Amino acid sequence: MTQDQIDDIFRENIPAYALDALDVEDARAVKSHLQTCASCRTELAEYRALSETLLMMTPPKTPPAALRRRLQGQLPSAQKRSSPRFVWSFNQLALGLTLIILLALNVSSYLQIRALQKQQVQLASQLQNGQAAIAMLAYPDTESLLIKADNISGTLLVDKSRNIAMILVWNLPQLDSTQTYQAWLIDPQGKRTDAGIFRSQPSQPYTSATIFSANDLTNFVGIGVTIEPSAGSPQPTGQRVFKVDF
Amino acid sequence: MDLGEFITCHLTIRQQIHFWIWKTEPLNKLVCIMMQIRYNGAVLNLDDTQLASQVAQGDERAFLTLYDRYASHVYALTMRIFRDANLAEEATQDTFLKLWSRARLFRAERGSLLPWLLTIARRTALDRLRLEGRRPTLSTADDPEELWQTIPDASTLPDEARWRSMHLAVQSLSPEHRQLLELAYYQGLTHTEIAETLNWPLGTVKTRLRAAMEQLRREWGEL
Repeated sequence: MTQDQIDDIFRENIPAYALDALDVEDARAVKSHLQTCASCRTELAEYRALSETLLMMTPPKTPPAALRRRLQGQLPSAQKRSSPRFVWSFNQLALGLTLIILLALNVSSYLQIRALQKQQVQLASQLQNGQAAIAMLAYPDTESLLIKADNISGTLLVDKSRNIAMILVWNLPQLDSTQTYQAWLIDPQGKRTDAGIFRSQPSQPYTSATIFSANDLTNFVGIGVTIEPSAGSPQPTGQRVFKVDF
Repeated sequence: MDLGEFITCHLTIRQQIHFWIWKTEPLNKLVCIMMQIRYNGAVLNLDDTQLASQVAQGDERAFLTLYDRYASHVYALTMRIFRDANLAEEATQDTFLKLWSRARLFRAERGSLLPWLLTIARRTALDRLRLEGRRPTLSTADDPEELWQTIPDASTLPDEARWRSMHLAVQSLSPEHRQLLELAYYQGLTHTEIAETLNWPLGTVKTRLRAAMEQLRREWGEL
């Protein structure tokens, strides 16, 4: 088959192609052929001009006026006009301010209650320590030992028969939140056993801490206190505050 | 200055130039009104290519001028395709929204604006038809033959000689050929779909549609 014959086959489909009336496969073949055939492209341009003119053959018909208004309503200027802008009225402003004030009062009350609860827990702890100290002093077996270090003084009460000790110390410096005081029981070989952590009590002139030992206090020869990280340490790592021998 | 006499007149030209004029005496008010008339007149007198260029820059007045100029053509075409006023309105609206967003793609050197706009309208409407899987009813209630016979108003078309010769060329076709053109071009049917619709052999459809187009081209060329 010659090239002219091939062109003729495709050329037969050009009129329908110009009308978009070819089936998908035929349209694809013509489209591909057009890329290489200048005479078919010229033919197509003429039929396209014809089909474009056909589009204008329908007598005009006036659309409803509402269509123009709808279209106008979709233009940017109309969209800007119709976009919801919140305008505060006096009542809305008053309501908003009232809600903000109520919310602020609630938050303030909640924070005050939290602070009072915390204070209450501290006071209860101090009261318990004070009562424990009085009770210990009433026992004849309680030893009272002097705590003496730089700028610090106090008393260590030790009841070895009940394995209880109490630290009562004045002028203990307040530590920041990353640190804590940690007590250690010291055995004859110098080995330290954790006896609990405590913090100084800024609202009181002295700090008290009770040590309930799981081990027999007679196995130990003294108590020491060091400054450790806030969660405490398995062994002393920080600066020594004081040490008392039994 | 008496604030009771204070009037602001704000004009926008091509979204770029703004005029504010304050009236302090009657003469100034007159100047303000004259400027507004001149501006509106300037938009209405622009040709399609200039208007399309302004639409591409976001000029809503130019866009509405084009709508007023060609909405009746777009609506008529979509009515012819759908034969349903609501669908035709929607397709007309979609067509003009496409004009608003794609005006920058219009190339005057490739042809005038109306055929470009009507091509968009036809594709928009046919896409909708295909989406809904609708087929032409072939009822005689809205006989498209009437549309082929009606002569458009010469004042509504930019190239009168062109469409008038086409109108005469169409009249030379047989009713059968016009029906094939109607189904293929205005209803968007392919050869196979036309064969199914008319219950004709596929080869007959291909031969007759080609013959119709060749005759139309011949007649149009001779006129």
